[in-house]
Amino acid sequence: MQQDPQPVNQPNPFEKVIEFVDERVGLKTIQAKMLNEPIPGGSRWAYAFGSVLLFIFILQVVTGILLMFYYVPSTDHAYDSTQYIIHEVDYGWFLLSYHFWGSSAMVVMVFAHMSQVFLWGAYKKPRELIWLVGLALFGIVMGFGFTGYLLPWDQRAYWATVVGVEIMDKTPIVGDFMARFLKGGPTPGQMTLSRFFVIHVMVLPAALAGLAGLHIFLFRKAGPAGPFRGTPDEIKAKTDYFFPRQIWKDIVAMASVFLIICSLAFIEPVVLLEQATPDPGDYHPEPEWYFLFLFQLLRLKMFGGEFGQFLGAIAIPGAFMAFLAALPFIDTNPERNLFKRPIALVGWTVIMVFILIFTVSAIINRDFLH
Amino acid sequence: MQPKLAAKTLCGDHEVGKISKVIVDPLSHEISHVVVKESGSPGVDRQIPIGQIQQVVSEEEIILRCSPEEFGQFPAIDRDQYVTIHDVEIAHLEDHLHVEPGEVLVPLPCLEQGVPRRTFFNNMTHAIGTLIALPLAYPVLKYLMKPMFKPFDNAWFSVGNIKKIKKENIGFQFKFTRGFKEAFMPEQQIEKNIWIVNATPEVQKAVYGGKDAKFFDNKGELLHVNKANSPYIGFSGKCPHLGCGYKWRKTKSNPEGVFLCPCHLSLYDEAGKVIDGPAPRGLDVLPMQVDAAGEVKIIDIEYKAGVKNQIRLL
Repeated sequence: MQQDPQPVNQPNPFEKVIEFVDERVGLKTIQAKMLNEPIPGGSRWAYAFGSVLLFIFILQVVTGILLMFYYVPSTDHAYDSTQYIIHEVDYGWFLLSYHFWGSSAMVVMVFAHMSQVFLWGAYKKPRELIWLVGLALFGIVMGFGFTGYLLPWDQRAYWATVVGVEIMDKTPIVGDFMARFLKGGPTPGQMTLSRFFVIHVMVLPAALAGLAGLHIFLFRKAGPAGPFRGTPDEIKAKTDYFFPRQIWKDIVAMASVFLIICSLAFIEPVVLLEQATPDPGDYHPEPEWYFLFLFQLLRLKMFGGEFGQFLGAIAIPGAFMAFLAALPFIDTNPERNLFKRPIALVGWTVIMVFILIFTVSAIINRDFLH
Repeated sequence: MQPKLAAKTLCGDHEVGKISKVIVDPLSHEISHVVVKESGSPGVDRQIPIGQIQQVVSEEEIILRCSPEEFGQFPAIDRDQYVTIHDVEIAHLEDHLHVEPGEVLVPLPCLEQGVPRRTFFNNMTHAIGTLIALPLAYPVLKYLMKPMFKPFDNAWFSVGNIKKIKKENIGFQFKFTRGFKEAFMPEQQIEKNIWIVNATPEVQKAVYGGKDAKFFDNKGELLHVNKANSPYIGFSGKCPHLGCGYKWRKTKSNPEGVFLCPCHLSLYDEAGKVIDGPAPRGLDVLPMQVDAAGEVKIIDIEYKAGVKNQIRLL
């Protein structure tokens, strides 16, 4: 065997470059700090949702930037440029459909992530701020869905916005201003498209990136909550680092979600309806599926009339969000075990069943109308 | 070898105290002083220059050059003149130190020793920041609000001929195209629709209540009067619930047909009154003219949806 002429610990050029950067940036420390985070009670599949959300967001940014190479945010070109992306540009249909299904995946994962944190009691002291920033992120994700929906400027886009903004208009005192501000006028048009575009591609991504950074920073500051059951000794015995076991679970979850989004983009690619116009024709306006339960709720007679509508569209969702924000300060009982928190368990189940029933009945009504 | 915190400190053979703090030069990153807590009470923290250390016997023990009497002459540390390394950002400082976690100090620069001045500059920074932001707030708000409020458009638009309606008391849709000019954009043709009912006297009465309907512009001047006995009634195509487009549909309980909004399932009769569903008010009647040849013209008014009273938007 040939003897290595150099001493064993002599760094190769690549290692030298790494060394050079590390000396100035402290990469190895950063890497060590990022990877060597102890996870009390060990890694779990249930902890993957946050990482998956970050992954989906990054791909939404990438696909979103790619869509902007062709998309033109004007009422006389938005529809045509979107059709061009779908029908003419190589793989345009795929990138657009990926972006579309990615947004749905984001909402699903936000629900999963919030549910996991809620059920694990991980919003409790000292993690109140992580929960609050998380709620703001939830609002931003919904804002992404709402603003992005208008951009293709087809009938579906137009009518979801018309109704959505009318609902916002029902907010007391500031509603009229907010609605006009978003529409950029009394009725939807070019100004609405411009505003939704800039909110969708600049304001919300900046807000989401900043708040997600803060979310992760606060999470690292407080450390993972770990399981809600088990003695300190049991938890200590099972504790491992973020790398490699949790990262392995995260990457597998990311790959699965990626495959699901790709499959949906293939099976159910985005197809536009007619170009937007204030005459709906035969189209029955309907929001994106994750707003369907709210849409169905507003069909109820009890949420009719001026006051009922305020109740159903603004007061109840607003109060629910306010309740979620106040939750870590109301629920100060340190008990995290889900099976010793009957109200939390029943409350979560009731809300999920409610959303499910109302979503399904909106879908059933859809068939009934046609 | 660097002495550890709490290392025993001797002068000759005599133990005088234990190292309680270490002072580091922020530029050279070298230890400049050790602080020795005197044995016994009250146990003054004395600041000893590093040069006074004769020998570091082990991490646990150092020997000073001075005698126990001279040790007592070293000044007590003025703690306010120092900050801990947690309060300052000195890169790689910790790389050079092998002390146990504890209080490691660097001297506060001479210019930074007046506390009130720091508060003043802190407040000044915020004040100047506010002064920069304040004059921007109004222009930015006005900039963004520019298109929000527009004068009402009171132009008349032709929508078609009334002779198309063959039956009384049913909803008949008229689609029309109108020019729409917005900001810098070239005028665009947008499609809209209205619904016209050829109303029997009972329905006319249900709509107008026997009184002429007057329409005013935003200055309060009369635009048009819909006569209470005019047989043709035009409804805005916008559902007064949340702004969708409604349709005329035959249902089991209304074989003649009703206005139905597919969005939130509001139902209106041929007079535009709410029969069922969440709508807060009936359909909006538009100012309408029908000439001798049956050509219909309307003013394309839009009202805010979701409120009891008509609030004009367009």
